[in-house]
Amino acid sequence: MATEETTSDQLGQSTALRIQQLKGQLFEVALVAATLVGIVSLLVLFAQISNDAFRPRTASSTWFLVYFGTLVAPTAAFTLYARRRPAVRTANALAFAAVFGGLLLSFVTYVVVDALSPYDVFIYAFFASLPPVLVLAYDRTTDERTYTGPLIPVSIIVGVGVAALVDGPISGPLGVAAEWIMYFGLVTVPAALLVAWLTASRRGRRTGAVAGGVVAAGGLAVAVASIAAGVDASLPIVVFSAFAVPTGYVTWWSVKTNPEGRVGIAGPFVILGGVLLGASLVDRLGIESPDSYLTPTLILESWDGLTASNAGVYPQIVGSIIIVGFMAVLAFPVGIGAAIYLEEYAPDTGLRGRLATLLEVNISNLAGVPSVVYGLLGLALFRRTLGFGTGIVVSAAGTLGLLILPIVIVSTQEALRSVPNDLRQGSYGMGASRWQTLREVVLPEAIPGTLTGTILALARAIGETAPLVIIAVATTKYSPPSGLFSSATALPLQIFAASANAKPEFRHGVVPAAAVVLLVLMLLMNATAIVIRNKYGRTN
Amino acid sequence: MSESDSSPKIQTTIETGDEESRHAPLNARDTVIETRDLDVYYGEEQALDGVSMEINEHDVTALIGPSGCGKSTFLRCINRMNDMIEVCRVEGDVEFGGKNVYDDDVDPVALRRKIGIVFQKPNPFPKSIRDNVAYGLKIQGYEGDIDERVEESLKRAALWDEVKDQLDSSGLDLSGGQQQRLCIARAIAPDPEVILMDEPTSALDPVAASKIEDLIDDLAEEYTVIIVTHNMQQAARISDRTAVFLTGGRLVEYDDTTKIFEDPEEQRVEDYITGKFG
Repeated sequence: MATEETTSDQLGQSTALRIQQLKGQLFEVALVAATLVGIVSLLVLFAQISNDAFRPRTASSTWFLVYFGTLVAPTAAFTLYARRRPAVRTANALAFAAVFGGLLLSFVTYVVVDALSPYDVFIYAFFASLPPVLVLAYDRTTDERTYTGPLIPVSIIVGVGVAALVDGPISGPLGVAAEWIMYFGLVTVPAALLVAWLTASRRGRRTGAVAGGVVAAGGLAVAVASIAAGVDASLPIVVFSAFAVPTGYVTWWSVKTNPEGRVGIAGPFVILGGVLLGASLVDRLGIESPDSYLTPTLILESWDGLTASNAGVYPQIVGSIIIVGFMAVLAFPVGIGAAIYLEEYAPDTGLRGRLATLLEVNISNLAGVPSVVYGLLGLALFRRTLGFGTGIVVSAAGTLGLLILPIVIVSTQEALRSVPNDLRQGSYGMGASRWQTLREVVLPEAIPGTLTGTILALARAIGETAPLVIIAVATTKYSPPSGLFSSATALPLQIFAASANAKPEFRHGVVPAAAVVLLVLMLLMNATAIVIRNKYGRTN
Repeated sequence: MSESDSSPKIQTTIETGDEESRHAPLNARDTVIETRDLDVYYGEEQALDGVSMEINEHDVTALIGPSGCGKSTFLRCINRMNDMIEVCRVEGDVEFGGKNVYDDDVDPVALRRKIGIVFQKPNPFPKSIRDNVAYGLKIQGYEGDIDERVEESLKRAALWDEVKDQLDSSGLDLSGGQQQRLCIARAIAPDPEVILMDEPTSALDPVAASKIEDLIDDLAEEYTVIIVTHNMQQAARISDRTAVFLTGGRLVEYDDTTKIFEDPEEQRVEDYITGKFG
């Protein structure tokens, strides 16, 4: 028929084709616009908050120059240098994790233990860790197959119970010992054991014992030096064990195994050194720094509702950390356990199967229940039914725990579901029991997903305000909680309260600064989740 | 003991290509697995219908038939992998060494330690090669030298030379054919008596598949091998006896492989084998 039309003509673009393509391009533009609207509005919000918190416009231009010279330029130069050298980047990533992870760990450990009393924490930690260590030691001494596995969790619970009983009588006599001895036992001893174990697994027992001994001796030396200098040895010991030891270990490890990239170790120190050098220069030369609200006062002092420059949120930060930490202890075992049952054990059919399906549907719904409602639940459960005091740590942690429980369950279920069935079949086919399959194959595969989900749940919990308001957690307290049954406050609550302060410098200065602190806490958790996910993702 | 000097023996078999020596004592062999009137239902649907067959020790028995004919179901009944499917119901007897494996006092976990299985899709665990092979030994609480058994199993699975320098790297880093041989090494490491194979080569390229076929030939020296396959040439090449399942989960014919392929009793079997349907 159409003899005139050659093949090459047919390859050209017809109008219909062109219109189709145009439609596709329009759709793409719309998608880009939607993405930009979301991201840009968030960025504007964050810029506004940080601007109010830092107030960079109040600084002199010399201030910017000093920090550009000490911090921005060296960091940028180092980044450029490391960019094309994978070995350097590997060492850099390790050093970053050790230095900043170590700093964070030191800060959190010291602050929490200090608030809860080092003597009590030591007694609980001692009684909770001794029984499982004894069980493991017994396991090692006998060559025969022992069936002590289930004893370990049981022994920990028994140990905690014993600690609760003997805490009163023991803590008095123990109080004679200096505080730093408690910190030594709580932080230096585990650090020494960890280093000994890591070294022993790579270099043999003897070197491991020596390495552990060096760490312990180092801790003692730090204590002696601090006492000689007339300062309390507690904080130096924590910083030595949780910051200096991991940093030193990673440095040694990088130099040994990755000589090519050992320059990368300098990465975190470029930033730390830049900040310190900049601060000392600004101080010495009397340069006008910004009139920022995000100051050491804000982080280290307690609240002052009258003068904005004196207001601090230290008790609130510690309260948030303790509440969320205890919440994790309560909610994670329950949530992960429930998810494992529903996903791996519950049958699909029959009465129990229908019950499990009903539970699953309801749990998914509970994940979306507004947090105010959980506040009411917490009020009814902890205040009315159990008769706990108003706004204590246990109630707050329990309420938030109930709030994140469905999230933990759902994300753990997702992680378990993503483990391919082939692997389970393979394991069963080898004659593994259900428990062996779970422990050896399914759980290791599901760990990254589970951890990511649970840490994101933590990040959600640390920002929750409404349920804490309902269970009457105090907005303002002047000291951190001293125990699980003492009253506490949390950072978001203080932000909420201060946003109604009559003075504008509170509303436009302290509130955004405290919000930045809260965001940093949350981002640190998210960063941990991402690091864990990437670490596990790569090995597979 | 006997395993450590088994690899040279396998070598000689390969070199001489002595097929007849293995076929010779056929009649003298003992029955290791026997099924009687085996019916399997998935819910309302019947997957196997009155299957009765005897499987000889140290034979390679091939199960062939069109898709959905129940051959995989039959295979999975032998080591009770069907227990995992809740709607699955088994009637009749499956005797292993004279004991009905569906008796109440039989623990499926213990049974699967005697009857290993290799699946269609290679499914190594996301662990190191060493840990993959040692998996069965570890869960069974093996107390001997695990590394020695790992090496021996990898040698027997014809994988040792390719992986001996990377035992600590992940099993998932291997190619598909290597992964399948790893799965075979994993299955034979705890020294089972029977190895079930569910279309072990259908996900592999021809070269990898032929390596597995050679391997199956060697394995029959020590194990009873039951293999499900879609590939009729493969069944003809590697098996001593062949069972033909046709639609409806019925065992239509079961005889020496040569008999089945050269002179089947049933017309339907001949039609299937010559490709008239299937």
